[in-house]
Amino acid sequence: MTTNWQFAWRNIWRNKRRTILTMCAIGFGASLIVFSVGLQLGQYDLMISGSTRIYQGLVQVQKKGYLDEARMRNSIADAQTLANNIRKTTAINDVAVRANGFALVSSRERTYGVAVIGVETRHEGNVSIIPGLVKEGRYLANDNASEVVIGRSLAKNLKITLGDELTILGSGRDGSIAATIFPVVGIFDSGSRELDRGLVQIPLNSFQQVFSMGNHAHAVVIYHQNAELVDTLKTQLQPLLKAADPDLLALGWDQIQPGIKESIELDYSSGWFMYIVLVAIITFSIMNTFLMSVLERTREFGIMLALGFKPINIGKLVMMEALILTLFALIAGTLIGLAVNYYFLINGLTFEGMEEIAAQYNMPATITPQISIESTLLGPAVILIFTLLAALYPAMKIRKLEPVEAMRHI
Amino acid sequence: MNSFLLIFSLAWRNLWRNKRRTLVILLAIVLGVWAMIVTAAFMRGMIFQMLEDTVDNLAGHVQIHHSQYLDDPVINNSFDPDSHTISRITHDPRVLMWSDRIRLPAVVLSERETTGITMLGVNPARESKISFIGKSVVEGRFLNSSSDTGIVIGQALADKLETRLGKRIVLMSQDINNEIADRGFRIVGIYDAPLDPTEKAFVFVGKETAAKMVGLKGAISEIVLRLHDTDMVTPLVTEMDQLDHTIDVMSWLEVEPYLELMIQMMDTSMFIWYLIVFLAMAFGIINTLLMAVFERTREFGLFQALGQKPRFILFQVWLEAILMIIVGLLAGNFLSWISVMATGDGIDVSVFARGMEMINMSNIIPFVITFNDLMIANITVAVLGMLTGLYPAWRASRLVPADAITRI
Amino acid sequence: MNHVVQCEKVTKIFEQGLIKVNALTDVDLAIEKAEFICLSGPSGSGKSTLLNMIGGLDTPTSGEVYIDGEEIDELNKSELADLRLHKIGFVFQAYNLIPVLSAQENIEMVMQMQGVSKKERNEKSSAILEEVGLQGMEKRIPPELSGGQQQRVAVARAIVSRPSLVLADEPTANLDSVTANKLIDLMLQMNEIHKTTFIISTHDPMIMQRSKKLVKLHDGRIIDIT
Repeated sequence: MTTNWQFAWRNIWRNKRRTILTMCAIGFGASLIVFSVGLQLGQYDLMISGSTRIYQGLVQVQKKGYLDEARMRNSIADAQTLANNIRKTTAINDVAVRANGFALVSSRERTYGVAVIGVETRHEGNVSIIPGLVKEGRYLANDNASEVVIGRSLAKNLKITLGDELTILGSGRDGSIAATIFPVVGIFDSGSRELDRGLVQIPLNSFQQVFSMGNHAHAVVIYHQNAELVDTLKTQLQPLLKAADPDLLALGWDQIQPGIKESIELDYSSGWFMYIVLVAIITFSIMNTFLMSVLERTREFGIMLALGFKPINIGKLVMMEALILTLFALIAGTLIGLAVNYYFLINGLTFEGMEEIAAQYNMPATITPQISIESTLLGPAVILIFTLLAALYPAMKIRKLEPVEAMRHI
Repeated sequence: MNSFLLIFSLAWRNLWRNKRRTLVILLAIVLGVWAMIVTAAFMRGMIFQMLEDTVDNLAGHVQIHHSQYLDDPVINNSFDPDSHTISRITHDPRVLMWSDRIRLPAVVLSERETTGITMLGVNPARESKISFIGKSVVEGRFLNSSSDTGIVIGQALADKLETRLGKRIVLMSQDINNEIADRGFRIVGIYDAPLDPTEKAFVFVGKETAAKMVGLKGAISEIVLRLHDTDMVTPLVTEMDQLDHTIDVMSWLEVEPYLELMIQMMDTSMFIWYLIVFLAMAFGIINTLLMAVFERTREFGLFQALGQKPRFILFQVWLEAILMIIVGLLAGNFLSWISVMATGDGIDVSVFARGMEMINMSNIIPFVITFNDLMIANITVAVLGMLTGLYPAWRASRLVPADAITRI
Repeated sequence: MNHVVQCEKVTKIFEQGLIKVNALTDVDLAIEKAEFICLSGPSGSGKSTLLNMIGGLDTPTSGEVYIDGEEIDELNKSELADLRLHKIGFVFQAYNLIPVLSAQENIEMVMQMQGVSKKERNEKSSAILEEVGLQGMEKRIPPELSGGQQQRVAVARAIVSRPSLVLADEPTANLDSVTANKLIDLMLQMNEIHKTTFIISTHDPMIMQRSKKLVKLHDGRIIDIT
C-alpha cells in the first residue's frame, strides 16, 4: 500500500506548474473561507454577547404570554423569592428582578411617554450595563429609595438636570392611577438610542408601591457570559418554575430577541451561499486538471492494464492523487486562514464606516474572529467533498479503458 | 486585416477543439459571472428596499422641520406652513408631492393598556398619496378630512392595546402651554404596515383635530416632500436649507445616516467579492489554457516554420482566451438575467422575518440590477481575464521552433 | 553567388547536461536552383539537424548558412520568420496541417500572411489543389483526409507561393509504398514545372533512387555526394 501512496505522490509532481496552480486554487479557497467563517462567527459572538450583556440577559423568567404582549397584569407573584431560589439552585449570582410599566414622565416644561422599570438596585448591575454607565450623579441607592435615573437623551428632551424632579404618571396593575414625583439622581449614557431615550429606572419596591403591584414583578433576568449555556440553564430552571407557578416560562436570549438570532441566521446562510458558489467555481477550475492528468496518461494506463492492473486499481490511484493534492493544499490554506484569524484575534479588525453602523446595532466597532472547530474545519471539509467529486469523474472514465486501444493512444 | 481574420478563425476553432474542457472552464466562468451579478443584484435590492421602506415609512425624500424640532420634538417647535419660504419649497418644480403634519410624541390609553406612540395629525388627501398609509388600511377606512374626529391605528398596536375597530381610545400629549392635553378618539380604521414596529409606533388623526387638541393655530411640525427623482434630493436640500435659518431642510439620508454608509460599504465589499470570484476562476483559466498550449506545441512549431512571427502566435492564443471570456460573460449575463426574471418580485426571506425587521426591512427582497453594477462586474472579468490570458499566450509564443516541432 | 543554399563549415553541438553531442561537423554544401536533392543516412546522422539549419529553425554552433545569399545567423527572429514565409516551404513527416483549418484554408494561410488578396488566394489555392489532384476536397479538414492526401496538401502549401526552396523531412515515412510513389511523382513534377528546389531528408530507398542528387550523411559528416 505504501508504494501506491508513493506512486501517487510522484505522479502529482510530474507536472509541477499545473499541480501548484491547482493547489493554489484550493488553498486560496480554503484560507478565504476559514478566514471569513471565523470572522462571521466572531461577529455573531459579539452580537449575542452585546445583546445579552447590555440589558436583556441570557435567560428571562416571565409569565406565559408576557413576551408577546407585555401586559401589566401578566406578572410573577413573589418574584424576589423566586429570584433567590434561582440564585441558590443554579449558583449563578447574576440574577435580578424587574417590573416594567409605561408612564408619562414630565418635567416642568416637557412630557414624554417612556418605559418605567422597577429594578433590584443591588442586583441590576449584574445583569445590565446601565448602572455602570451612570455618567452624572449616582445609581439608585436602595430598593425603597424614592428616586429615578434616566437616559441622557431623555434628560435633554425633558430639559432637566440632576436633582430636578420628575413626575411619573401612568396606570397601575389594577387599573388605578399611578402617580408620583421622584428626583433625578443619575443620568446614564449607554450609547443605545432606544435605552437612552425611552427608559427610566426606579427602585423595585417603589415601583411596586406606585403601580399597585404588591410583591409582583414581570421578569427575572439571568445573565451568564457563556451564551451556549442557555439550554442547560433553561432545563435547570424547569422544576423551580413548576413549583412556583406552572404558567412561568424560562426564555432564552434567542426567544427574547428573535431578531438577533434570525439576522445571524440570515447572514450565515447568505455567507454560505457565497462560499458554496466559490467552492463550485474552484471545483470547475480544477476539474480540467484532474481530467487532463488522466487523459494524457491513457497510454501509460494501457500498459499498466496490459501488465495485469485492474481498472479499479488505476481508478484508486487517480483518487489517491486527488486526495493527496487536495489535502496538502487544504492544510496549507487552512493554516494561512488561521494565521490571519489569529492576527486579527490579537489586533482586532475594524474598517472605515464600521463604527457608525456598529453603533446602530449596539455593537463594538472592532471584530475579533472566532477560532473554533467549526470556523476552522467546516470550509475545508466542504472543499474536500467538492474536489473529490470532481476527481471521481476522470477516475470513473478509467473503468472503460481497453488495454490495446489505450496503448495506441498518443 | 487579412491576418486578423485568420487569427480570429484559428482562435475560435481552437476554442472548441476540446469541447469538454472548454465547457468545464466555461461553467466556472459562467457560474462566477452569475454569482457576481446576482449577489450584487440582491445586495442592491436590499438597499433599494431599505430606501423604499424608509421613504414609504413617512420619511419621504426631504423633510422640513422647525430648526429646534429634532433636538426637542415638542409642539412649540412648529412653523407656519404658509410662509414665503415654505410655499417656495412646495412649489418647486422638482417636488412631486408633499404632505404637512402635526407630529407629536403621545401616550395612548385603552381600557386595559397604556403605551407610547407618535401621533401624526395629517391632511388625509395629501398623506395617503405620499406614504404607505394610503394603501394599507385593512379594516374600516382612512380619515375623511383634516377635521375627521376618528383615529387610524396599526394592527399590532390594536392587539397590544386589546382594542378593535369602533372602540374608543384616549391620546395624551403636551399642549402649547406645556399642560397635558387629552382627547378621546373612535378607531375608524386599522392599517397593516410592512413592519411591526411601524404599526406599533404611529397613529393617524386629522390635522385640524390634532391642532385643536393641543391648541395649535395654523402651525405644523413637519412637511415631507417626495421628488420626481432621487438625484434631485441633495441639490434641492442644499439650496433650500439656506433660505431660512429657523427652518431645517434635510434629506432622507440625513434621517438615516447609516444607510449611506451601508451603500458605500456595499460597493467596496462587492468589489472585493468580484476579485475573489475572479481569482477562483483565474487559476482554472490559466491551467486550462496552458494545457491547450502545451498539447499544441507541435502546431506552434509548424506555424513558425511556415514563417509566422511569435507575435502572431501570442495573439492567436490570447484571442482564444479573450473569446473564452467573452462567451463566458455573455452566458453568465444571460443566466443572471433569466434567474432575476424567474424570481419575479424578489426573494421571499420571511423565514428570517424578525431578523429583517431588526435591520428595518420587509420580507421580500427584489433583485435590482443596475447598469453600474453590471458594468463593474463585466469589466472586472474582462480586464482581469485578458491579463490572465496573456501568460499562456506569452508561453506559447516563446516556444522555440526546432524544439517545438521535434517534440512529440 | 547564385546558390540557393550554401553551407560553410556548419557545425552543431547539442549539450544535454554534461554530454555534448556533435550533430553536425564541418558540413560544406552548395545547392543550386531547381535541384532535387536527397539527404540520406541512418537516424542520428544529422539529416534533420541540417534541414532545420537550412530552414532557419535552428542556428549552427559554428560555420555559416546562406539562403539566397543572405546569412541566416545575422537575421533576427522576425527576419527569420519573414525569410521562411517568403522563401522556404516545409513538408514534415506528419502533423503538417493545422487541424482546425480546411485543406484550402491550410494552403491559403501562408498567402494570407504574405498579404495576398482574397481573390488571388482563392485562384491560386484552387489551381494548386487541382495540380496535386485534390479537387473536390477543398473543404475537408485534416482528420477527414487520408495520410497521402494530407501530405499532398502539405506539398501544395509548400509550393503555392513559389518559394525558392522546399524542405521535406521524411515526407513519405508514414505512407504506404504506392502512396509514397505518387507523392514523389508529385514533388518531381512540381520541381520540373515550377523550377522549385527540393531538399528531402529520407531513408526511403525509393526517393534516393529517383532523386537527381544524393547526399549521404554519417555521424554528422557528409560522406558522399552522387
